Amino acid sequence: MWMHSGTCREAPHRLLSRAECRNPQEPPLVHYTRTVSAILLLAMAAPSTALAQQLSKPSDNGKVQVSPDRLTLPVGEKAQLEATILDKDGEPTKGNLLYLSRARRSVRVSRSGEVTAIKPGNFEIIVRAILPSGRGPEAKVIVSVPHPTPTAIQLTGAPSKLYTGTTVRVTAAVVDKKNVARTDLTVALSSSNTDAMAIDAYGYLTAGRPGSATLHANGGGIKHEHPIVVFENPVRSLKLAASHQTARTGDVVHFTTNLRSAGGSEIDSVPVHYTLHATPDDALGNGATGQIEQDGRFVAEAPGLYTIVATCGSVTDRLTIRCNQRLTQKRKLKKIGHGAVLDVHTSDLWVWEGVDGRDYCVTGTWGANGDAIFWDVTDPSRIERIATVTCDARTVNDVKVSEDGRLCIISREGASNRKNGLVVYDVTNPKNPKRLSQYDDELTGGVHNVFIDKNYVYALSAGRRYDVLDIKNPLAPTRVGSYQIFEPGASIHDVWIENGIAFSSNWRYGVHMVDIGNGIRGGSPSNPVKIASYAYPSGWNHAAFPWRSKDTGKFYVVAGDEAFPHGLHTKTKPTYARGWLHFIDFTDLDEPKEVARYQVPEAGTHNLWIEGNLLYVAYYNGGLRVVDISGELMGDLYRQGREIAWFIPTHPRAVVPNASMVWGPQPHKGKIFFSDWNSGLWCVELVEDRGRRR
Amino acid sequence: MMRVARITLALFAAGALAAQGPHANVGTYRVYVACESADEVHLVAFDGKHAKVERQIEVGYQPTEIEGPHGLTVGLEGKYWYLSIAHGKPFGILYKYRTSDDELVGQCELGMFPATMQISPATGLLYCVNFNLHGRMLPSTVSIVDPEAMVEVGRTVTGAMPHGSRLSKDGMRHYSCAMMSGELYEIDAVTFRVKRNMQLDINLPKGHASEAKPTWISPHPDGKRLFAALNGKATIVEVDANKWTVTRRFETGKGPYNLDITQDGKTLVATYKTEGAIGIWDLDKGKETARIKSTQGVTHGVVISPDGRYAFVSSEGKNSDPGALDVVDLKTNKLVASAAVGLQAGGVAFFEHKK
Repeated sequence: MWMHSGTCREAPHRLLSRAECRNPQEPPLVHYTRTVSAILLLAMAAPSTALAQQLSKPSDNGKVQVSPDRLTLPVGEKAQLEATILDKDGEPTKGNLLYLSRARRSVRVSRSGEVTAIKPGNFEIIVRAILPSGRGPEAKVIVSVPHPTPTAIQLTGAPSKLYTGTTVRVTAAVVDKKNVARTDLTVALSSSNTDAMAIDAYGYLTAGRPGSATLHANGGGIKHEHPIVVFENPVRSLKLAASHQTARTGDVVHFTTNLRSAGGSEIDSVPVHYTLHATPDDALGNGATGQIEQDGRFVAEAPGLYTIVATCGSVTDRLTIRCNQRLTQKRKLKKIGHGAVLDVHTSDLWVWEGVDGRDYCVTGTWGANGDAIFWDVTDPSRIERIATVTCDARTVNDVKVSEDGRLCIISREGASNRKNGLVVYDVTNPKNPKRLSQYDDELTGGVHNVFIDKNYVYALSAGRRYDVLDIKNPLAPTRVGSYQIFEPGASIHDVWIENGIAFSSNWRYGVHMVDIGNGIRGGSPSNPVKIASYAYPSGWNHAAFPWRSKDTGKFYVVAGDEAFPHGLHTKTKPTYARGWLHFIDFTDLDEPKEVARYQVPEAGTHNLWIEGNLLYVAYYNGGLRVVDISGELMGDLYRQGREIAWFIPTHPRAVVPNASMVWGPQPHKGKIFFSDWNSGLWCVELVEDRGRRR
Repeated sequence: MMRVARITLALFAAGALAAQGPHANVGTYRVYVACESADEVHLVAFDGKHAKVERQIEVGYQPTEIEGPHGLTVGLEGKYWYLSIAHGKPFGILYKYRTSDDELVGQCELGMFPATMQISPATGLLYCVNFNLHGRMLPSTVSIVDPEAMVEVGRTVTGAMPHGSRLSKDGMRHYSCAMMSGELYEIDAVTFRVKRNMQLDINLPKGHASEAKPTWISPHPDGKRLFAALNGKATIVEVDANKWTVTRRFETGKGPYNLDITQDGKTLVATYKTEGAIGIWDLDKGKETARIKSTQGVTHGVVISPDGRYAFVSSEGKNSDPGALDVVDLKTNKLVASAAVGLQAGGVAFFEHKK
C-alpha cells in the first residue's frame, strides 16, 4: 500500500499498464482513442466548459507543489514529477498523492509520478492530494510533447519526365523518422525552370518547353529536390471516340483516344486530359449534370448534349453525344395489402413458401413485448395474421426462416433474465409455431441479427462477432465456429450469406467477405476464413448485399448506411434518417473500389434486397424505393434517374401517425413485401403508371 | 393479467396507506431511474404521498438499437448525474448530464457493458464496473474515470462479470463482486490496484461459473463490514472488512440482487429479483423484518434516502410491462407509492431531498 507524505518518489508501485488491465477482447492501448464518429460528434457537441468543471475545489486546505510545473518531453521519453502537499500555512503535511493523466493514451503518468510521452500535443497531468479528511488540493502540470523531428519530404505522383503541354498532379508531405506524416506542416512546391515546368498552388505541374527542371519541395525545415526532364510532345494528332453516340442518363459511356505522331505511329504513353461541356435539355438553373473520369468513363445525370474534350499538349479533339432520359415508361408501386401492426413498432420480416405451398411471412417487433407475428400472405391483398409467438424479450429485431420452410429463428434483446440469445421454432405449420429450443450460450448480450444457411445459423454476438450454430438437430443447437474482426474497437451489425460466403457489416470496419464454405479460401462454418474487406470513412456500414451483374460480370457488394444525426422519435414525431447505399466493386477482391452510390436526399437507408437488375431499398423516412441497377454503375444513381418507383406507407393510427419508417424489403413471387417500423407489414406491386385519375 | 392485478392491488394498498398518513411535510425526494430496454432515464419525485415521473430523458446514440442504460450515480455536489450505457460499438459509454436541466455535457468510452458506478469523496474519481454481459467468462475490469474531464484515467482487472460497484464511506476502497467467478474484490481507490479478493462461492464448481453469483456489495457505514448479495444462493453474507472473512449468512428471498444500507447502519434493504420482492433487514439482529412484494415481477435496484426514511426500489417487469419505481417507508416497512416508468427499470440513484 502506497502511503506517504510529501514527495512521491519512494512510491514502490506502478500504474497497471493498459496491456495488463485489458480484457483479451479489448483493443490495444495505442488504438484506444479511436471512437465512432457519432461519439465524436456528441463529444464535440458537449460544451467545453464541462471539461473544466470541478466537483469540489478544496484549495482552502493548502496546495500541492509540483516540480516541474511544466514539462516538455519528446515522444518516448520519461520524466519524474516531484510533489509535496503543503498545508494552508505552507508547511508540508501528510496525505496521499494521486497522479492522473487526462490523456493517458498520449501521455502516461505512473502512480509515483513518472511521466511518459506517447503522442505529440499539449496535455494535462493532475496531481491531487488525498488528505485524511478527504479530497485535498491539486496542481496541474502541462506536458508538451513536441512533434518528432521532420526527416524527409515524400512526393506522390511526381514523374521523372513530362511531355510539353501536359499536366500531372503532385502531392507532398513531411514525414518524421518513423515515416509518419506531419499533418501540422505544409510543403511549398516550386520549379527551378518555369519555362520548362510550371507548378500551381494545388500541385499541378504543367510542362512548357523541352528542358530540365527541378521540382523543389520545402517544408518543416526540410528541402527536397526532384529532377524532371521535359520532352517535346510527340503527339501530333488526337482522335476521340465514344462507346455510344446516344445513351441514357446513368449509362456509362467509355471515351477513348487515339494518339499519333507526326509519322503516323500510335503513341500511348502521353497523358490525355478529359473535360466536359454540358448542354442539358433543362437549362433552367440546373446544376452539374454529368461527370467524366480521367480514364475516359462518362455518365450523365440529366438529358441533354454532352461534349467531351480530350487534350494532349497542343492537340485536342471534341465529341458530342446525346443522353436521353433513362426511364421513359412510368412505373409506380401499387399497394396490394397491409397487415397492420399499429400498437408496437415492427422490425424485420421474412417471406417464404410454406411446406403446404401457401405463402407466409413473419415479422418481428421492437421495444415491446417480445413478439414475432406470423402472417398468411398467399393472397397478399388479404394479409391475414395467423399466429403470434412471444419470448422473454423487448425486441425481436430479426426473423429468418430456413430454405425448406420448416425452421424459424427469432433473435432476442432485452430479456428479463438478460440471457437473450435466440429461439428456434418449427414453422411447418405457421398457424401453430412450435418452440423447439432456445440458445443463449455466449449470446447473452443480445442477438441483433441472424441468418440461416443450410444447417447453420449465423448469429451476432456481443456486438463484436458472429457465432456459427449447427442446427441439424434444432432441439439442441451447438456452436461450431465464430468470426470476429480483431481490430481496435471493431463492432458488427449484420451478416448475410450467399454462395458459401458470409458478408458482414461492421460499422467503421465496413464490409467483410468471409469464406464459410465457398472454397475460395478453404473456409467452412467451423473455420471461417476472411476473403476481402472494404471500409468507408463515415463508419455507418449497417447492411451488405452481394450482387453479380449479369450485364457486366462485375461483382458488387452494396453496403448500406444507417445514421440518425437528427435522432429517433419513437412515439410522437417522424424521424429524419440519413445515409446512402455504397456500390463497392469487388470484382478484384484485392482491390475493391467504391464506384457508385444511391442517395435519396433528406432520408436514410436501412435494409435492401436485389433481384435481377432491380434494387429494393428500405429508405426509412424515404419509404420503399425501386432502382434500376442494370449495366455498368458509376456516380449517383439517384441523380441519374435510375429510380423506377417509390412508395411511402403511412397510417393515421400508426405508432407514429402518418410517418413512414420502412425497415426492410423482400420481393416474393412478383410482389414486394416490406415492413414499416410504424405500421407493420405491407405488400406492393410494381406496375405501369397510367397517370392520376381525375 | 396477473401482473396487472398485482400492480393494481399494490398501488391500491399504497394509496390507502398514503391516505392515512403519516407523510405530511416530508418534502420532496427525487431519484433517477434508468430504463434499460427503453433507453430512457426517468426522474421520479416523491412527496410523501405520490410518486410521479417529472421528466423523461431519452439517452443513447444508436436509436434503433437497445443501448441499455444501466448504472446511475449523482455527483457529490448534485450538479451532475452520470449514466452508463451498456451497449456500444462495441464499448459502452459513460454519459454526464446536468441535473438542472438534464442536458448532456460530457461522455467517455469505457469497456464492455459498463454497469454500476460510484464517485469517491476522497479521490473525486468515478469507479464503474465493466460488467461484460456478453457471454464469455473472461476477467473484466473496473474503469476509473475523472468525472470533471470525463476521461478514463485507469482500468483495473478483476473477475468475470463485475457488478455492484461501491466505495467505502471514506472513499478510499472500492468493492465489487465478480458475478461469474464468485469473487469479492477490493481495490485501493488511490493506487487503483487490487488489494484483496475473496472467493464467496464456497462450492465453486471447477471450471464452471459460480453458482453463488454474487451481484452486489454494500460497505457498511462503520467501515468494518461489507454485505454481499449471493444471487444464486438466496443469501446475503456479512464480511469482516479487516479479517476478510465471512462472519454471518442471512437466508433471503430468491435472487437477492442489489443492496443498500441506511446511513445509521441499522437497516439493509435488499431486492429479491427472482422473487419479485423487497427484503428489509435489521442488521444488528440479523433478521428480516419485512418482505414486501414489488409492483413488478423482476425487482432490481435500491437506493435509500440519506435520511434513512425511504427506500426507492426499481422493478423491471417483463416483456411490454412497464418498469416501476416503488417507494418503501422504512418506518412502517410498507410500500407507500409507486410510479410506472419505462421498460426494464434497473439502475436507480438518489438525487435530492427538498424539504
